[in-house]
Amino acid sequence: MLAKISTLALKGIDGFFVSAEVYIASGLPAYAIVGLPDAAVKEARERVVAAVRNSGFDFPSKRITVNLAPAEKKKAGTHFDLPIALGVLAASGKLGKNPPARLEESFFIGELALDGSLRPVAGVLPMLLALKDSKRTAVVPAGNSAEAAVSGVKCLAASNLKQVAEWISGSDGLNACGTVPAAEAAGSGPDLSEVKGQTFAKRALEIAAAGFHNVIMVGPPGSGKSMLAKRFGGLLPPMGPDESIETTKLYSVSGLASAGRLVRERPFREPHHTISDAALIGGGSNPRPGEVSLAHNGVLFLDEFPEFSRPAIEALREPLEAFKVTVARVKESVVYPARFLLVAAMNPCPCGYLGHSVRECSCTPLQVHKYRARISGPILDRIDLHVQLSPVKYADWEAVPKGEPSAAIAARVLKAIEIQKARFGGRDGRSNAAMTAGELRSHCALPEGASAVLELAMNKLGFSARSLDKILKVSRTIADLEGAAAIKREHVIEAVQYRMLDKSEALAGI
Amino acid sequence: MQANAEAEKLARVRLNFFGCMRSDWLLRLMGLYGGAAELLKRPPAEIAGEGGVSFATALRLAAETAAADPEKELALARKAGVKVLTALDDGYPELLKTIYDPPLALYVRGELKNMPAAALVGTRKATPYGLRTAARLARELAEAGAAVASGLARGVDTAAHEAALAAGGVTWAALGSGLNEVYPAENRKLADKIAGSGGAVISEFPMGLKPMPANFPRRNRVISGLSLATVVVEGGFESGAMITARFALDQGREVMAVPGPVDSPMSKGPNDLIKNGAGPVEDAGDITACFPYGALAAAHPGKKGESYLRPPAALKELSPDAGAAYAAIAADEKGLNADELAQALAWPAQRTAASLFELEVAALVASRGGRYTRV
Repeated sequence: MLAKISTLALKGIDGFFVSAEVYIASGLPAYAIVGLPDAAVKEARERVVAAVRNSGFDFPSKRITVNLAPAEKKKAGTHFDLPIALGVLAASGKLGKNPPARLEESFFIGELALDGSLRPVAGVLPMLLALKDSKRTAVVPAGNSAEAAVSGVKCLAASNLKQVAEWISGSDGLNACGTVPAAEAAGSGPDLSEVKGQTFAKRALEIAAAGFHNVIMVGPPGSGKSMLAKRFGGLLPPMGPDESIETTKLYSVSGLASAGRLVRERPFREPHHTISDAALIGGGSNPRPGEVSLAHNGVLFLDEFPEFSRPAIEALREPLEAFKVTVARVKESVVYPARFLLVAAMNPCPCGYLGHSVRECSCTPLQVHKYRARISGPILDRIDLHVQLSPVKYADWEAVPKGEPSAAIAARVLKAIEIQKARFGGRDGRSNAAMTAGELRSHCALPEGASAVLELAMNKLGFSARSLDKILKVSRTIADLEGAAAIKREHVIEAVQYRMLDKSEALAGI
Repeated sequence: MQANAEAEKLARVRLNFFGCMRSDWLLRLMGLYGGAAELLKRPPAEIAGEGGVSFATALRLAAETAAADPEKELALARKAGVKVLTALDDGYPELLKTIYDPPLALYVRGELKNMPAAALVGTRKATPYGLRTAARLARELAEAGAAVASGLARGVDTAAHEAALAAGGVTWAALGSGLNEVYPAENRKLADKIAGSGGAVISEFPMGLKPMPANFPRRNRVISGLSLATVVVEGGFESGAMITARFALDQGREVMAVPGPVDSPMSKGPNDLIKNGAGPVEDAGDITACFPYGALAAAHPGKKGESYLRPPAALKELSPDAGAAYAAIAADEKGLNADELAQALAWPAQRTAASLFELEVAALVASRGGRYTRV
């Protein structure tokens, strides 16, 4: 007997239809799964046998062949357990002579425990989104019901194999997955006003948020680099619905959406500097999204930036340029979106105290040079803002008044973003930071006095020609924050201040 | 006779390969036997017997000089564009010949002009005050037509070399390593610049000798020996700059010092020298005043109105904001970084950035590792 059960699989963060075909023939008892299954899928054999028997059914002692079609696409994950088990039951006639309509028309996803209960699986949301326009029903593990609800697809939540079998035969034992809970009141995350001093760093973060510029903070230990970075997300505008779904999909594929919510606040990822390049940008023989993709539509904070491995730092080039990561394998290549704001932090030198007001730096210029050279030119080229932090003195801690609250800064940032939307025709993902050379010319015309500033910066402060483009982009954002149509001289002057790592002194005798 | 001179030069270059703390006894032995070539022909036992050195040292002298290859060394020097001078050659500085133990061989990259020089020496861990003063003195000396001698080390030495070059002057750097092993490595470009702009990088050590701590005090006698006056800008009691000052004293040269704050550890050395009679230096006029009459082509520069005591005139042309920022930066001996300045003046980032830009472009402040200090 032959049975066909509809289910879904993932390629990257997109779902596709898979048909689990089960054929039971007489002959010596045997049991095989074909159709490019990975190790987790192959193990479904053992789980399915136990789950079927422990749910009160017989497992046929015959020759069983399971094919996952289309057979040329790789399949990964444990969610084929349920469709395979149902296929075995259907093919051995346990679900009635003629396959009921519910079995034919529904999609099934779920991992089976040995006792027959259903376990939640990763990637439910992106898989279900493939059903978005089909008006068909999907049965998912109860543990995934909240996440499934986000998809907007008609879903039923099941807690074990027996329930599903009964539902197929006509009972009403399965509950619908419910609806997405309304957005909670805006979370009161940490506020930037809690950070005292650091005038330039706060201003740089404001500019970074407004123009989608990547930023690197240079400061001694304890100057508040991670404190600032954690508050950075609060300056960004709230996530749009599409952004939310996209980020949730990436979380789901990585199995991080087990709490099953729609991701509403911008992700903040801070991988440790010992991370491998594959974990940072994504990879593996069964590709998984890396930290850069988990930070999609949010903030990627890389503390101790020069301590990251060279391959990891260099791997950032593609996502910083193209806002996506392509993981190419011999058999397939998948694309993960990765549009994140990079907030990097580093010490000014290996010992951390170069330029400190009290402590002496014990590094030689050569050590400083080598330390900074770990961040290659091409990467530094993609970071528009460099800002220096100063250590906070205790006296200041008491005396300095609280800074501006995040909400006030976020309001200015939002205005600047609106201006950019109008400028770039509302296209998604466009910002001042991503301006092309042509756009730079048309949007960043400089008044007479301002181009003189650039000349001075080059001749007197030793800036290279390639830092001039960055200065222009940042000037544009500073003007946008002010609501100014044209860039003014003072905007350029301020922008120059945020290129400290470009100054010739940063490399020569410090 | 020509061939003899050639052989003697090679012998001296060979003898120079012997690693020792001082060369005065070698010079004495050369005097005893009538030249390096003769000295090298003597068996160790004879040298030990007649020369008053231990047999072990004489053996080591024989072994080390035998291992050397002076012809190869001269070819190596020629390839690197380096002249090798011995006291027999024209161009060996006359002033250097008059010290107690002049170098047997002098490797010169660039041009060792016959002109009066002053040595500016100081610590590697200089304060902004020391760097600023070293640079000003070097500039004034260059403008007065004197060469600035120093040791190419970090800190005061580098500031002095750079300022002399920037003023279009002549500067000499004496190394404690071979000329193919410039130390510290980050000053390699500076060394090229010195050699390429009428100055000289010199060493008495064989081309490929790596920097060794023991050799640095030894090269200090060359710095002071090339100079009419040695000025200690900054340094602790035990610093290399103080060693140079002692050499200058032994060589009968003028020793001078830049007075500094009494609570600055880096001014302990110069202040102590002044206490013991060294001339205090406020500007280059104080230094050139002790040069022999007529040593400088130009007239002695007078006191230039002590312009460094007042806020620079350029400040008048800048905005009031820049003036306030300058005052705040100058008030702090260690300087301020951009953020500290913003906090000190309670200014927003934009305003602070604008005034810093004005000051930096006008070269009134300089940034080192993100700290702004007055120039």
